[in-house]
Amino acid sequence: MGENKSELGLLVYILPFLAVTPALFAMGWESYEASILIVAVPFMTFPVILIVGQLYNGEEFWKNKMKEGGILALGALGASLSAALWLVYDYVDALPNFDEQQSVTQWLEWVSFDLLQSDYTLTSGSKILGMGVWIDSITLMILFVATFLCFLICWFSLGYMNTDPINEDRNHRFYGEFVLFALGMFGMVLADNFLWLFIFWEVMGLCSYLLIGFYYWKDSAAYASKKAFLTTRVGDVFLMIGLFILYDIYGSLEFSVIFHDPSLNGTVDSGKLFWALLMMFIGAVGKSAQFPLHVWLPDAMEGPTPVSALIHAATMVNAGLYLVARMVPFVDVGHHGVSGLEDLGLIIAYIGGITAFMAAAIAFVQNDIKKVLAYSTMSQLAYIFTGLGSALWFYNNDEHHAAVVVFGSSMFHLFNHAMAKGMLFMASGSVIHEVHHAHDHLHHENGNGNGHDFDPQDMRNMGGLASKMPVTATAMMFGSMSIIGIPLIGGFWSKEGIIAETWLAALEHEPLMYGPAILVLLTAGMTGFYMSRMWFMTFAGEPKSEVVEHIHEETQWIKMPLVVLTAITAFGGFAFALLGATDYLSSAYDYSGHLKLHKSTLLESILYKLEYAFLPEKINLRIVGWVTIFLSFIVGPVLAARIHGGKLADGESSTPFVSWLVSASSKFGKQDVSSLAESDLSVALQNRLYFDDLYEGVLARTVIPFSQFTAWFDRNVIDGLVKQIETKSVSGSVQVRGLTTGSARDYILMATVGMLSIITLLWGMNS
Amino acid sequence: MTSLGQLTLDSDTASSLLPETVMLVGLITIVLIPNLGDAKFRIPLTSVRVPVLLGGSRFDMTNDPRMPNRISNITFLVAFLSSLVLISESPREVGGVLMADGFSRIFSTMFLGALLLVSVATTHRIPAKTKAPIPDDSDSKAAIDRKISVLIDNRRQVDFYILLIMVGLGMSMMTMATNLFMMIVCIELASLSTYVLVAFHKESPAGGEAGAKYFIVGSVASAIGIYGMSLLYLWSGSLDLDVLRESWQAMDGVDPFAAFGIGMMLVAFGFKVSAAPFHLAAPDAYSGAASPISGLLATASKAMGFVALFRVLVIITVPEGAEALWMVALGIFAVVTMTWGNLAALTSENPKRMLAYSSVAHAGYMLAAIAVVGSGISSTEESVVILTAVTFHLAVLVLFKLGAFLVITHLETEGKGHSIDHLHGLGNRDPMIAGSMFLFVLSLAGVPPLSGFLSKLLMINGIVSTSASTGSSDTSDIATWAESVDPLFWLAAAIVLNSALSLFYYLRIGLVMFFEEPVSSKPLKAAPSLRMSIFACAILTLLCGVGPVSEWLLDLVNGAIDSFMHQ
Repeated sequence: MGENKSELGLLVYILPFLAVTPALFAMGWESYEASILIVAVPFMTFPVILIVGQLYNGEEFWKNKMKEGGILALGALGASLSAALWLVYDYVDALPNFDEQQSVTQWLEWVSFDLLQSDYTLTSGSKILGMGVWIDSITLMILFVATFLCFLICWFSLGYMNTDPINEDRNHRFYGEFVLFALGMFGMVLADNFLWLFIFWEVMGLCSYLLIGFYYWKDSAAYASKKAFLTTRVGDVFLMIGLFILYDIYGSLEFSVIFHDPSLNGTVDSGKLFWALLMMFIGAVGKSAQFPLHVWLPDAMEGPTPVSALIHAATMVNAGLYLVARMVPFVDVGHHGVSGLEDLGLIIAYIGGITAFMAAAIAFVQNDIKKVLAYSTMSQLAYIFTGLGSALWFYNNDEHHAAVVVFGSSMFHLFNHAMAKGMLFMASGSVIHEVHHAHDHLHHENGNGNGHDFDPQDMRNMGGLASKMPVTATAMMFGSMSIIGIPLIGGFWSKEGIIAETWLAALEHEPLMYGPAILVLLTAGMTGFYMSRMWFMTFAGEPKSEVVEHIHEETQWIKMPLVVLTAITAFGGFAFALLGATDYLSSAYDYSGHLKLHKSTLLESILYKLEYAFLPEKINLRIVGWVTIFLSFIVGPVLAARIHGGKLADGESSTPFVSWLVSASSKFGKQDVSSLAESDLSVALQNRLYFDDLYEGVLARTVIPFSQFTAWFDRNVIDGLVKQIETKSVSGSVQVRGLTTGSARDYILMATVGMLSIITLLWGMNS
Repeated sequence: MTSLGQLTLDSDTASSLLPETVMLVGLITIVLIPNLGDAKFRIPLTSVRVPVLLGGSRFDMTNDPRMPNRISNITFLVAFLSSLVLISESPREVGGVLMADGFSRIFSTMFLGALLLVSVATTHRIPAKTKAPIPDDSDSKAAIDRKISVLIDNRRQVDFYILLIMVGLGMSMMTMATNLFMMIVCIELASLSTYVLVAFHKESPAGGEAGAKYFIVGSVASAIGIYGMSLLYLWSGSLDLDVLRESWQAMDGVDPFAAFGIGMMLVAFGFKVSAAPFHLAAPDAYSGAASPISGLLATASKAMGFVALFRVLVIITVPEGAEALWMVALGIFAVVTMTWGNLAALTSENPKRMLAYSSVAHAGYMLAAIAVVGSGISSTEESVVILTAVTFHLAVLVLFKLGAFLVITHLETEGKGHSIDHLHGLGNRDPMIAGSMFLFVLSLAGVPPLSGFLSKLLMINGIVSTSASTGSSDTSDIATWAESVDPLFWLAAAIVLNSALSLFYYLRIGLVMFFEEPVSSKPLKAAPSLRMSIFACAILTLLCGVGPVSEWLLDLVNGAIDSFMHQ
């Protein structure tokens, strides 16, 4: 095939973008000053992509050299990435003390819309809409995750989107919206006040709507995009209410003002603050797809796969977590926090626990590879919420040490999960892409071009792909391991902390915490099952359809991000755990940690870390830890292997990275679960526990009659009024124009009338 | 009456009157150059022939019909630039009747800028053809007509530009006049030239009729104004603005001569700014005249009226801290004017008439702002803010109002532009021109971030910040506040409501340009310098709305108005 010529030469076009950051460095800028670029470059690029794409759609240069805007998007995201890396490099070890943070944000004033000043204009000196950057370890971590993943996903999209004929001449829309989406996330993380945070939050909401509905001519995609938009909107309304209450309490939404002393010397009413934070949490629930606002996330898989990766790993879903992580100063009683907010922590932990369990259960029965990942995302985010809930609970009870550990673990899990899930989505995209191509190819050859009932995302059409797609299989294996929490890999290092500390809270402090503690522990085992199931169904066993025979892993641009992320997923967790990532990430509100080894030598640190992970001092934590490992490492995967595992077809082999796993999966015997699959529970799970039906039923009885009424009101009363004004204006216009007769005599008459009335007014008013 | 003084052209005077001097030179040149030829004068009784250059058969270069246009362009460019430079010069009195200061230079810069644009645009509106064949008997009737029309256009090039320079001279002298007599003379110099310019296309019935009507109504208005001026003279014994001001302040009660005089002058200036009900001839004139001339009437000519209003109302008759005599009248006329203009524009099918009525509405907005200055509740600082806003509005109006007329001019080059149908589908035919037009109408409507928004915002802000504080301080009850607030506040409300009404016809232009089928698929006729002026207007419309350029311009205007109010 001619198009197999390497396209990497096109990267030369992104060099100007990448030169921006070094140029500013050379000009003597500081990294915090340059941080505006992280948002500004994408902001200037996205309209260019959209407009130029519209004008030059389908032209040679635009299509093949610019990849319909993809190269521009990649360049803009590369510029953001480089500026973000610079910021991380400068501040990773030099974070200002939390108490001094105030002064930091003030240097970092980006834009300040002072009301027009000086004597000829509006006079009011105060800043009304300033925006600066707020830098702490959480900002740095999420900023790195977002910029890095967005860059890789954009890279991946160059292969995924531009080779699919269905996207042809539409991709500029994809890239434009993608870049806008990314800048929404960057801006939200950098913002130093809740107002800008909310604005960028909404930018993401808009873009998720646009991108999920990218295939808007498909009813299901149009429906899914509306659903995502409306569901998150429910959360956003609550978030807005929360921010209103917050503003009412503090008179400001600036972090530097609020976080400095959230209790305002003890004058803040904890009840009011509780409601503010709870409302904000509901916003986070909507954005991060937690129970009960989780219904949109699985449907959001209607968007192109890079969008799934973007929403479900790198950006939007993390926004909710970020918001909850920003609540710590309010509850941290050791640092001017407001006491009496334990219930908030409990609620968050419960929502997390319930979602984690429920999503994992639903993931058991999904056959669509992306839906499994979607539910897995919900479940893993719920872990983080549980962790944050416990952290808030600990902070509010002044259990500082435990709070720091679980908060750090939660943030660290966010990192691990983002890396692994970004990769898993891209890997699933790679699978879907190749299956789709192979299917098209096959049907093209056979001449029966009708393949509408074939679903390239259905794992029942796959199987045995390990030999066809070794890179993807390896990537997915490591990604799944990280999500499951296989010891020493990725997510293990963070998930352990969340589960253990939640149990600690339950065992030693608050019996109500048993609920979330038990739920997350069970979920650990269930994660082991559904992730393994997905991998085995896709990559192990014999091919389940003829399409598999024709699969080749050959599309350009796709492999690089997978390889990079595989390395990070496999080793990054351990490496960062060694560097004390948990301490570092919790240092945002309690400056203590640098990224450095715990002990003086590497070996000692490794031993220390292993001991800490596997043999903690407290005996009940040790038990919890081993139960977790047993459930997630042994029970789940073995069950999955018994049901879905199996050898590859004869004559097929794969790379050593994965072949051991394939052959291991055939060692546990075979179990038939078809009777189970028809049980009521399974049916209920397949129907997503009937949440969608429930919501639709409720909406049909409440909102729809109301909106019918407002529609009637709008049509008859408001439109009627407007129509009245319109007809009156038009008839008035005709009458007024009738006075312009065209005869100079009449004009002079009118002028005389005018003169007389002027004189009457002048004279009459004054005598 | 103080004497008109001795006007001597020494070098200082020449430098502070540089733009006027340039125009005078331009005027002489434009008369002379086309008459240069190889004529020789034979010294009597000898056979020596001395070349006198005037007359005879013309040289190729001087005979070029494009020459007057070039001279006019250069004249206005130099005059515009020199006027711009002179803005920050210190005030200088010339001959006792003229005062060259920042205020007058701001306006003369505005006028000369508008005239420069008009002059450049006319290159394509009344085109000069270097090859103009003479019709002969073998031609058909239509061909003869066509050829004759080309010849006429060539012949009258020089007339057109002479008139244009006369307009410039009158307007820029008028801004400096500190004596009512001088002011009226300058206004008439400019006005008489514009009457002729409106009727310039005398072969078309609309042009001749429009010019005649405009002239008749205009001369009635002028006569009333001059009569009012003579009443003022009777009352005060002087027409010098400073003397009048002193007399006004010394006046006990209201002298009928003074009140009648001011009232009658308002009629004359009301005609100039096209305030209702003196505006009635304006739509006819605008639609009958060539579009660049209509644009000139709607911007420079209107601004000239406002300069006169500033001088007469603000300088002579604003008593410190008390309500001015004319405040109520002006407020009422402002509301009537803006409503009348907007209502009439609503159903206009001729874009030129629509723009004319829109120009009436804008006059209403500015009159409302001036009424607040006369209310006596505004401090001097607030008055400066408001007058700055009005002046800024007049300045940026040159960009987008004239810009809109220039777009119509572009359509007129292909014989269209007198119906909104001709704008249909312009977005397809020429996206850049249509985009500029859309920018212009949005700016006229006052949509951010365009300059029309900024100026309107400043005006409304000036009115509101002056008047809203008069309301009851008990903010809990809006009804009490609404009752207690100074009625001037409702002027701002009227502006806002009228702006809402006006959006309808402004946006309609956008609608027909981008969503209707084009009337023809042919691209517009090539008109490079016209396009350039349109784009310059569009870019400046944007730049003067937000960013450093707008701040620079505001600073400039503010400085000028500040010195004007404190002189």
